[in-house]
Amino acid sequence: MMIRPILDPLIYLDPGSGSYLLQLLIAGALGTIFAVKMFWGRIKGFFAQRLFGKKDEDSFDG
Amino acid sequence: MRIASTVERLPASFRDPSGFLFERDGDLLRQVNRGYRETYDHLMSSGLYKSLVREGLLIPHEEVALDLALDARAYRVIRPQRVAFISYPYEWCFSQLKRAALATLQIQKRALDCGMTLKDASSFNIQFEKGRPVLIDTLSFDRLVEGEPWEAYRQFCQHFLAPLALMTFRDVRLGRLATLYLDGVPLDMAVRLLPARAWLRFGLLLHLSLHARSQRRFAGSPVAQARRRRRMSRTALMGLIDSLEGAIRGLHWEPKGTPWAEYGLGEHYVPEAKQLKETWVDRTLARLQPGVVWDLGANVGHYSRLASRHAGLVVSMDADPAAVERNYQRVVTEGTDNILPLQVDLTNPTPDLGWALRERASLLSRGPADVLLVLALIHHLAIGNNLPLPDLAAFFARLAPWLLIEFVRKEDPRVSQLLAARRDIFPDYTPEGFEAAFEKHFLVEETLDLPGTLRRLYLMRRRPGTQSP
Repeated sequence: MMIRPILDPLIYLDPGSGSYLLQLLIAGALGTIFAVKMFWGRIKGFFAQRLFGKKDEDSFDG
Repeated sequence: MRIASTVERLPASFRDPSGFLFERDGDLLRQVNRGYRETYDHLMSSGLYKSLVREGLLIPHEEVALDLALDARAYRVIRPQRVAFISYPYEWCFSQLKRAALATLQIQKRALDCGMTLKDASSFNIQFEKGRPVLIDTLSFDRLVEGEPWEAYRQFCQHFLAPLALMTFRDVRLGRLATLYLDGVPLDMAVRLLPARAWLRFGLLLHLSLHARSQRRFAGSPVAQARRRRRMSRTALMGLIDSLEGAIRGLHWEPKGTPWAEYGLGEHYVPEAKQLKETWVDRTLARLQPGVVWDLGANVGHYSRLASRHAGLVVSMDADPAAVERNYQRVVTEGTDNILPLQVDLTNPTPDLGWALRERASLLSRGPADVLLVLALIHHLAIGNNLPLPDLAAFFARLAPWLLIEFVRKEDPRVSQLLAARRDIFPDYTPEGFEAAFEKHFLVEETLDLPGTLRRLYLMRRRPGTQSP
């Protein structure tokens, strides 16, 4: 007679590794996009300040 | 360690080995364990604590004597400022959850600047204090290990991004899923529920759809090998936070389409009656000077605003997500710091939830209030929901010692409307029946008939001896 485990072996697997590996996989792209965005932000900020005397502000309000 | 004082370890913080919350003689304290020593010192000395507190993003605390500690593992004991009223994500409207999400990301940005990272991104770690989202778990930080991804990424997506996307693209009522899934909406489920057009948003495609797929594909994969080959630079971490922020900011919900969102305030009162009702509520509360008022069936919070002039805090509850959303939007635009709008269905109020039913407190155990406002609500409960008047009276008596309540007669057009499509099985729903039911628990202190209407206001005081539990 065969005895089969009642529990699905998948429940022992932690979904955390998927979240971890996804970040490593997309890290290069995220870093590049962010660096370019910052670079443009600085150029824009430089001209905005020169031309209009405005400063970008970091707000978190929805 | 001191003995001979009442000490209780609080159940919401038992998962974290860094420390825990406890109460000593009614004083709220947090023990920081020795294992967390370096991290805590870095939080305090790197300037992160100071900058977060200055921006109103982290609850301030003071360090107190070490002999107040609960056990020998203690490195420090801190006394965090107490939050006026604890609320939970399943009681928040769309904008509250969105602002809590953005605050979490802002905190993570500041942490990265100081060589730290959030190890948790649970929505339960955020509370609304003076109308603004604030992190209450001082021990949520870790030292940043260069090259490591964000440990709380999955939690952030489950607690914030997934429910906000579901509320935006499917139905705002899906915010209530948080009661079923205390660690956030499982990503595979969110992906199944979201419509195809959600995937036109790159942020949602990446952080929800690809994320869920990656969880399935890599479940149980050893991460050590990948860690040797690849790393997550600080710029990439900033990029991740920026991308999540963009995804959250792109989600909007307009409060319309629900019955109460379009409900005009006071249009069914003659102007004189409305004026009189406002004056009476205002004057009565000015006399009572309550600490905490619970406004039940608050709609968009018209009377909560009147109450807020005289109360320390008004918890403004309604079951309608659009009404709560409008109420909260007004709190933000007007900068009101003592109204907390919450989505609560009184016929099914927030229960105790979580491990051993002790992690998240029920609505009732977060009371009692000092004064209860129950205006133009009783007919919805008694007739709309078949709740007998004696049961309602007993319930209200558990919530507060003072009650301001409005009775609306059956002949009132609004009540007739409720009765139009059903049999009238409410023979006791009369002013006499109402008074008889409520006088079992309350003493009537004052009444006022609103001219030109079929409504009467009552100020009631709970009978001595009938205590809240």
